Amino acid sequence: MMNQITLWIKKQVHLFKKASWGLWFIDPPKDVSLDGYRIDKVIQYTDLVITIYFGIVILAMLYFVVKYRARPGHKADYDHGNSKKHVMATLAVGLLVFFSVDTVIETMSFRDLKEAFWNFPKGENVVRVEVMPQQFAWNFRYPGADGKFNTDDDLIPAQNQMHVPVGKPIVIQIAPWDVIHSFYIPNFRVKQDATPGMVNAMWFQALETGEFEIACAELCGNSHYKMKGYLTVDSQEDYENWLLSLAPEDDEEDEWDDWGDDEETAASDGPPADWGWAWKEIK
Amino acid sequence: MSEHHEQSFWSKYIFSLDHKVIGKQFLWLGLFFVLFGGFQALLIRWQLAYPEQPVPWWLLGDILFSGTGGIIDPDKYNALFTMHGTIMIFWAITPLLIGAFGNFVIPLQIGAPDMAFPKLNMISFWTMVLASLVLLASYLLPDGTAAGGWTSYPPLSSPVGGIAGEGQTLWTIALTLAGTSSMMGAINYIITVVRLRAPGMTYFRMPLTVWGLWLTSILNAIFVPVIAAGLILLLMDRTIGTQFFISGGLATVDGGDPLLYQHVFWIFGHPEVYILILPAWGIVSDLLSVFSRKPAFGYKVTAIAMTTVASLSMLVWGHHMYTTGMSPLLGKSFMFLTLLISIPSAMFFFNWLGTLWKGSIKFDTPMLFAMSVMWVFGIGGLTGLYNATITADIYLHDTMFVVGHFHYTMAASVLFGSFAAIYFWFPKMFERKMNPFLGKLHFWVSFIPLNYVFFNMMVLGYGGHHRRIYDPSNYDFIKPMMWLNEYITWFAIALGLAQLIFVYNFIHSMIKGEKAEANPWGAATLEWILEAPIPHGNFETVPTIYNGPHEYSNPKVKDRDWISQSEPISS
Repeated sequence: MMNQITLWIKKQVHLFKKASWGLWFIDPPKDVSLDGYRIDKVIQYTDLVITIYFGIVILAMLYFVVKYRARPGHKADYDHGNSKKHVMATLAVGLLVFFSVDTVIETMSFRDLKEAFWNFPKGENVVRVEVMPQQFAWNFRYPGADGKFNTDDDLIPAQNQMHVPVGKPIVIQIAPWDVIHSFYIPNFRVKQDATPGMVNAMWFQALETGEFEIACAELCGNSHYKMKGYLTVDSQEDYENWLLSLAPEDDEEDEWDDWGDDEETAASDGPPADWGWAWKEIK
Repeated sequence: MSEHHEQSFWSKYIFSLDHKVIGKQFLWLGLFFVLFGGFQALLIRWQLAYPEQPVPWWLLGDILFSGTGGIIDPDKYNALFTMHGTIMIFWAITPLLIGAFGNFVIPLQIGAPDMAFPKLNMISFWTMVLASLVLLASYLLPDGTAAGGWTSYPPLSSPVGGIAGEGQTLWTIALTLAGTSSMMGAINYIITVVRLRAPGMTYFRMPLTVWGLWLTSILNAIFVPVIAAGLILLLMDRTIGTQFFISGGLATVDGGDPLLYQHVFWIFGHPEVYILILPAWGIVSDLLSVFSRKPAFGYKVTAIAMTTVASLSMLVWGHHMYTTGMSPLLGKSFMFLTLLISIPSAMFFFNWLGTLWKGSIKFDTPMLFAMSVMWVFGIGGLTGLYNATITADIYLHDTMFVVGHFHYTMAASVLFGSFAAIYFWFPKMFERKMNPFLGKLHFWVSFIPLNYVFFNMMVLGYGGHHRRIYDPSNYDFIKPMMWLNEYITWFAIALGLAQLIFVYNFIHSMIKGEKAEANPWGAATLEWILEAPIPHGNFETVPTIYNGPHEYSNPKVKDRDWISQSEPISS
C-alpha cells in the first residue's frame, strides 16, 4: 500500500516536472561534428548574459512594484529623469550592454566564421559531394575516380542516402532543381539553403560514426515534412567499400529513369543527368 | 471645423469621415481577425501535438475537415499556418494598433480636429475591407487558400512551385490591397502629426504614443511600396508568365532570381516588425507614466531611442538571410548593425524602469498589460540576439526557436500592447468602463499560458525541431520532444479560451458597463479633457498646449496629482 502511494506521488511529481518548463528536459541533438561546439558555445554565452540582464530588469521591476506600490501616505516623486546625470546613466547602460553582450558575441561569431565555417578546407583528403534537392528528396553525387563531376564515372547513391568518412573534411556544393530547400543536419549544427540559380557551399567534419537525419528546413511544398535524408558516417574502410558498391554498371541509364518515379508526391520529374553546374574550387 | 449638421446612418457609421468612427471600424476588423487567426493557431497546434489524429468536435474538426474525417491533410496544414501568419500580421495587429488606435488617438492627443485627409482615411479603411474580402474569398476556392508560408518565397509561390489552385494569387492581390490601405493611412498620419498639432504642441511635447505611431507611419510610407512592388512582380509571375523570381531547373528563361524576392521581402519585412512594435512601445511608455503617477523617465531619450531603432531597422533585413548563401561580407555588416539595436533598446528599458522608480504604482488592468510588455518584449528582444548571431543562426534558423522568438516580439508584445490600449482607451471610445475584475482575470489567464507556449517553442527549436513541418514525429530527433508539443497545445487552448473572458467583458461593458467619467485614469494627455460624446471635429476651441504629456505629481499643482497639457501651471 505504502509502496503504491509513493509510486503514485512519484508519478505526479514527474508529471508536474514535465509540465513545467521544457528547458530543463530538452537538449539539442548530440553534436558529432568538429566545429559544432563553437555554435553551442556562442549560444551558451548568450544564454548566460541574457539571463543576467533579463533577471536584473525583472527583479528591479518586482522590487519597484512592491516598494513603490500606491498606498495611503505614499506619493510619487516628481522627476523627469532628464538631468544630465540621468541621461548619462541611460547612455552608460546602453554602452554596457553593447560591450558586454554584443561585442563579445560578435567577436566569438566572427572568429568562428574565420577559423571554421567560412574557412573551407583544401587539399587531397577533402571529400567533395554535390547535392541537388528536389521536391521532395535529396540527390547526392560523388566525383568518382577521375575526381571530376559531370563525367561518366560519377558515383550516384540511392536518393536520400549520403555517406561520408569519419574524421575527414566534407565539402558540399548545393543547388536545388526546383524550389528553395535547406540542407539541415541537426547533429552537425549545419544548415545551408539551396536557392535556384545559385550554387552554395558549406563544409563539416564528423567526429563519430553513425546514422544521422537530414531534414529540409525551408518550406518547399506539401511534403516538406517528409523530405528526410540519412547521413551515414562510416569508417574510412566502410566508406570506400560503399563507394565501390556504387561503381557504375553497364546500363546506368536505368538509375536515372527511376528518379522521382516512386515518389508519388514529386511535383517535377527531377533533375537530368547533367546537373548544369561545375564544381567551383573555393579560393 | 465642428460641424453639427445631421448625418444619415450611412455617412455616420459606414462611410464616416470621423477619425473616431474609422478607428472603431478598424478595431472591429482587427478583433474579428485576431479571433479568426487565433483559432487557426489552435488547429495548427492540434496537428503538431497529435499528428494525423482527427480534430475534436469542439475545434470544429468534423465541419472544417469533413472530407478527411476530421484529419488535417498536409496541404490544409500548410494553408493554415500561411493564413495564420498573414492574418495575424496584416489583418489583426496592423488594424488594431495602427488602424484603430492610430486613428482614434493621434488627432485627440495632438489637439487636431480630425486627420489631415478625412476622405483618404475613409478610403483607407474600405480598401482594407476590400482586401479582407479578397483574402476571405480564397477560402471558397476548391483548392483552398495560399499555402506558401506568410513569406511566400518563390519559386514555391510561383505557378511552377506545385501549390494547387489560385489561392496564392488571391493572397498576393489581398496583400497588395492591404499594403495600399496601410500606405494611405501612413501618409495621413505623417501629415496630420506634422501639420495639425495644436499651438504649443511641439514635437517634444507629443505623447510617446504619438511618437511611436508617427515613426511607424514613416516606416510604413517608405517600405510598404517596396513589398507592394515585390508582390506585383510575383503577381505577374503568377498570371502573365513572367519569370522575375524563377530560376534553376523550372525556369524556361534566364535572369530570374529567387533571392531578389527575399531581399525585397525583408527590406520591408524587418521594418515591419518595428512598424508593429513601435506603437506598443509608445503606448507602454505613456501608460507606465500614467499608472506610476510620475513623469516618464527620460522622455526625450526614449523618443530619440525609438527614432534610432526606427532608423536602424532599415539597415538590418539581411539577418533573415544568413543561410541563403548571401555574400559573407554582407552577413557580417548585417550582424553588426543588428546588434547595434540593443543600445537604444537597453536605453528605453532603463527608462521604463526609471519611470516605475519612486512612483506610486497603481495596478489597473492597462498597467498590468503594459508591465507585462516589459516582460514579454524583454524575452523577445533578448532572444533576438541568437538570431542576429550568424553562427548561432546557422543552427537556429528556420526552427521553432525563431517561431517562439517572433511570437514573443510580435504576438505577445504587440497583442499585450493592444490589450493595454483597449483597456485604457475603452472609456473614451465607448463612454463606459470595462469590468476591472474580469480585466485582471483576463490578464493572468493569458499571461501564464502565453509564456508557456512561446517559451517552449524556443526550447523545441533549441532541440532542433524545425518549423512548418506537418508531422514532427517523422523525425527521430524530434520524437523525444513530442510530449512538449502536446503540453504546448493544451496551454495554447487555455490561452485561446482565456480570450473569451475578454470578448465577454468587451461586449458586455460596451452595452451595460458602468458609465465612465471624462478622465477615469487621471491622465494628462489631451483626449481626457473632452467630455463624452466627442463631436465630429473634436475640440470646441483649439486647445493651447502648455505642458509636456506626463505632468503627474507636480508639487505646484494642488488638490490632484495630474494636470492636463492644456492647463497652464500657475506658480
